[in-house]
Amino acid sequence: MGESKNWYLICYDIRDPKRWRQVYKQLEGYGERLQFSIFRCRLTPREREKLRWQLEKVLTEEDDLLIVGLCNQCIERVRACNRSGAWPVSEQNFKIF
Amino acid sequence: MEQTVASAETETLRVNSLHAFAYCQRLFYLEEVEELYTQNESVFAGRRLHAELQKLEREDWQEFNLESVALGLRGRVDALRTLEGHLIPYEHKIGRCYRDRQQQPQAWHSDRVQILAYACLLETVLGVTVPEGRIHYHRDNVTVRVPVDEAGRQLVRDTIEQARQLRASLERPPVCRNERLCLNCSLAPVCLPEEARLARDPEHLPLRLFPRDDEREIIHVTAGKALIRRAGEQLRIAIDDEPEQKLPIQQVGQIVIHKFAQITTPAIHLCAYQDVGVHFISSGGRYIGSIDNRKGSIQRRIRQYQALTNPDQCLRLAQLLVNCRGQSQRRLLLRAQRNRQDALPALQEITTQMEQLLDTISHTDSLEALRGIEGHLAALYFSGLPYLIGDQVPEKLHFNGRNRRPPQDRFNALLSFGYGMLLKDVMNAILTVGLEPAFGFYHQPRTQAPPLALDLMEIFRVPLVDMVVIASINRMQWNFDECFEVCRDHVWLSDDGRRKFIQLYEARKGEMWKHPVTNYSLTYRRLLELEVRLLEKEWCGEAGLFGKLILR
Repeated sequence: MGESKNWYLICYDIRDPKRWRQVYKQLEGYGERLQFSIFRCRLTPREREKLRWQLEKVLTEEDDLLIVGLCNQCIERVRACNRSGAWPVSEQNFKIF
Repeated sequence: MEQTVASAETETLRVNSLHAFAYCQRLFYLEEVEELYTQNESVFAGRRLHAELQKLEREDWQEFNLESVALGLRGRVDALRTLEGHLIPYEHKIGRCYRDRQQQPQAWHSDRVQILAYACLLETVLGVTVPEGRIHYHRDNVTVRVPVDEAGRQLVRDTIEQARQLRASLERPPVCRNERLCLNCSLAPVCLPEEARLARDPEHLPLRLFPRDDEREIIHVTAGKALIRRAGEQLRIAIDDEPEQKLPIQQVGQIVIHKFAQITTPAIHLCAYQDVGVHFISSGGRYIGSIDNRKGSIQRRIRQYQALTNPDQCLRLAQLLVNCRGQSQRRLLLRAQRNRQDALPALQEITTQMEQLLDTISHTDSLEALRGIEGHLAALYFSGLPYLIGDQVPEKLHFNGRNRRPPQDRFNALLSFGYGMLLKDVMNAILTVGLEPAFGFYHQPRTQAPPLALDLMEIFRVPLVDMVVIASINRMQWNFDECFEVCRDHVWLSDDGRRKFIQLYEARKGEMWKHPVTNYSLTYRRLLELEVRLLEKEWCGEAGLFGKLILR
């Protein structure tokens, strides 16, 4: 399901609080925050490029951004070297509250 | 109508739309006239390139918004340099350049038209002569120089003229001949070029350009005391005193509000802006309505009105529909014959009668006659349905004929709730595509429910609701005290039952189905939207693919 979606780890170092807040808000629209300045997002290529474009408009030369794509095997390894529940994955395309 | 044509003649064209016109006339039409914009990854990659370049050359980067009514063009020249006293427009492209026979770098035709158009625009507005334009292709890092000569200027004028004529026309152009153009086109999932080619030529082997699945989540809020609000680019859902649940807006496809959860206006705005469907279902499981955030796409609704006021067209589509549903109903009963030896004679009798009825569909000459057949088919189907329920199932969950408003037994309560959910999904698909739900071809126009949605629902009733209900009952997934609320002759789902049904229904929608004509598989969730798009093709000269969803 959702064949073209992949996990990405997105990390940033931003020197200015105003830009930092903008980037933070933007990323919250795409995925969840794992630690300070580290997000994990499950994205299609389209969403990934849209996010890169939106971030590029905000960031300047002195900021750092790292987007790491993770394959399924990477996810298994992430799980293997961490505490249990470090990378929960839901297979469903729906949520009920 | 006259108004739109008049304004189209005076309004200037965007230079980017000329690029689209030179690429594919259908692309131009879909974007400029039908106002459909979808962005794929290369569109965003291109925008990012521009944002990056802008930062690299902050000092000499200037954007000029130019418009010339005399020429009929407007556009934003994103880089302009002065070389030896001449102004040179630059255009940056993320991809590769075209290589001619000698492997020399050249501009692609559409890019050439675009840079020439910028040059003409500069010349007209600033009153200067522009000797050339330059296009930088970033993938292979070459700059192509495009000289601006009289032939080039004439090409721009001709293209503007042709584009204007097309913009004023009501006819959507056919798909382009060069199939390779469609592979990289951002509009392929809404234009469906491969399906159109298939409709024209049944031997054509279509490539998949339509996505297999909708990646965004469907959020059901069944708690009565819930608050859905916006926080930045997130939706937050608070239920009682529990911590708020966070939902990144890009990951949400639909919000379905059962009962009376609160949703704030900013949250609705965010959903409308991000094309997230917002739907309301009553506590009894009836579909109440949706937030309608359709913008543009008026042309397709005009074509819908034109097509569906034609009685022959309506009859043909209605025949497809009744056949599609009737065939599925019959197949479902045939499936049951395999493991019900005791009911074999009864079921055989029903399915034979159904077959005879199905054969008469193509000879009907009015919608009334068709409704008669449909009613007869439905009666036969429902009379066969009890045989599908296993012996192990307790009496309380058996089926003894269809009743509704209100449903009087548990089986009917499940069916009614399922049809409510289905109506919601069909409405979501119709609104996404931009058609008019209140204007159908089979159901009568009335105030109760939108006829086009009711029409389209027929296709999905058996695979998405009936089969889910029967399978879950046979698997004994229902607890008849906890899942239902009974009040004399009213039966409806309890909170527990509702959650369970939503789970089963959504899981079913995630299952794959292989389309018998296009031969690619996709989820039912995605199929809902594809079916609406194929329906629209029925009256756009690309008919033949609608209503093929029949059980095997």
